[in-house]
Amino acid sequence: MSWLIEIILNGLITGSIYALVGSGIALVYGTTRVLNFAHGELIMIAGYLVLFFSVTLGWNVWLASFLTLVMVAGAGALLQRATIAPLLARDDWAFRVIAATIGLSIFLQSGAQLVWGEQFRTLPYFFNGVAVIGDVRMPWQRIAILVIALLIMAASALVLYRTPLGRMVRATAQDAEAALAVGIPSGLVHTAVFAISAVLAGAGAILLSPLVSVNPWMGVAYLLKGFAVVILGGLGSFGGAVAAGFLLGLIESFGVAFAPTEWRDVISFTFLIAVIWVRPNGLFAGRGA
Amino acid sequence: MLDLNNIDVHYGATQVLWDVSMRVGAGEIVSVMGPNGSGKSTVLKAAMGLKKATRGEVILDGEDLQGKSATLRPKRGMSIVLERRRLFPRMSVRENIQLGAFTRTHAEAARTMDWVLDILPDLQPHLNATAGKLSGGQQQMVAIARGLMADPRVLLMDEPFLGLSPIMVRTVSDIMRTINEKGVAILFNEQNAKLSFALSHRGYLLESGRVVLSGSGEEMLEHPEVKRVYLGQRAEGAA
Repeated sequence: MSWLIEIILNGLITGSIYALVGSGIALVYGTTRVLNFAHGELIMIAGYLVLFFSVTLGWNVWLASFLTLVMVAGAGALLQRATIAPLLARDDWAFRVIAATIGLSIFLQSGAQLVWGEQFRTLPYFFNGVAVIGDVRMPWQRIAILVIALLIMAASALVLYRTPLGRMVRATAQDAEAALAVGIPSGLVHTAVFAISAVLAGAGAILLSPLVSVNPWMGVAYLLKGFAVVILGGLGSFGGAVAAGFLLGLIESFGVAFAPTEWRDVISFTFLIAVIWVRPNGLFAGRGA
Repeated sequence: MLDLNNIDVHYGATQVLWDVSMRVGAGEIVSVMGPNGSGKSTVLKAAMGLKKATRGEVILDGEDLQGKSATLRPKRGMSIVLERRRLFPRMSVRENIQLGAFTRTHAEAARTMDWVLDILPDLQPHLNATAGKLSGGQQQMVAIARGLMADPRVLLMDEPFLGLSPIMVRTVSDIMRTINEKGVAILFNEQNAKLSFALSHRGYLLESGRVVLSGSGEEMLEHPEVKRVYLGQRAEGAA
């Protein structure tokens, strides 16, 4: 029985990171129809920022995390204003935006290599000790990932469904021109959505950094999983992406319980292809922001 | 009240409106009639700032709004009911209507909501329903209600009868008259000449992006060219 609890817990923990990353991508896609290929680099930037504040400067980890989230939100807003907004003004923006964000992704990876080098760095655990749940022993750091990720996603959902900003975002997502016609400044909404999406990516990076290394390419794998989550969740659905993130985490966790760990990505992407085959619009299509 | 002066609009390199000038006086219903692709919707979108005019002026009560953000129009007393309703389909009817007052205070919005539901009482039982699940006619009511929530002095309506049953067409026509009687000027477009000019005080005929004819509703209905081309009637004296 303990092995089952461990598999489920591991699945939920991995899934919570996928959900954080995927829901950010889904929020941007659902509102602006932009697929941001530089989303992974927001994870990477947040990883380096929290490393800089908490290790290099030795600041309190909560302060470091807060500052990281504020700065990465600014980076997301800047990315949208400087790179994407000028392209959205054109009629033929769709391919240009993809090309621009891929270019930005490569630029940021190369920039990180120049600034921080190629070595892999790790943050110390924020939470020490081990939780004991029956026969299962799990580091508090891993439990904290799940709890904090859930809290952040709940807060995001609250913003989206219970605040004036959320109403503006949902209106713009459902019909940008109609939103503009009632006086909603859709350009600012797009910028806000990129900032929120960056915060979600940054939160994922902060939670992950003690467990995986911070390096210039750390966002790439999570970007691909994030895209998988967005497709599984039904393109652009925030709630769908959250559910799909947890589902993908659980499937991977059960998969590697019975197959070698290297098969992790094979399992998740085979599942993705199977879902696309049966439900081309994803598992939770039509439940957008 | 609302003057469109010498408006040109381009989509990319293609010009779709040529030197279009129109006027909507206070308390008037004005129609823009023309065949498919003549640029009727573009006129309304250019007036609302949803499509940028490449030349010309959009003047509302003396203020030139051309080049200013579309978000300014509702604050200045202009709102639009978009073609095919364009509701926020996953929001409730209430949320859709309330968003029409996005630029106004809560107190103003609450007052206007009572006024709107007085004009459109059939919406009352559906306020908590999901907007996208209503019938086409009910959705058009919600779209009109949303447009009215800005408390506009001039309401633009893009093809308000599109896709509606004959009964709903009559209902929406009656609602437009009621709104107008309450002091709201209306500029709408429509392909059906009879419907268009019978409902309006004045009308414009748009062909290939140019105003080719204008006059009172009665004059437009009696014009030989309108009769021949758009009403399928032979002009008097023709063989």
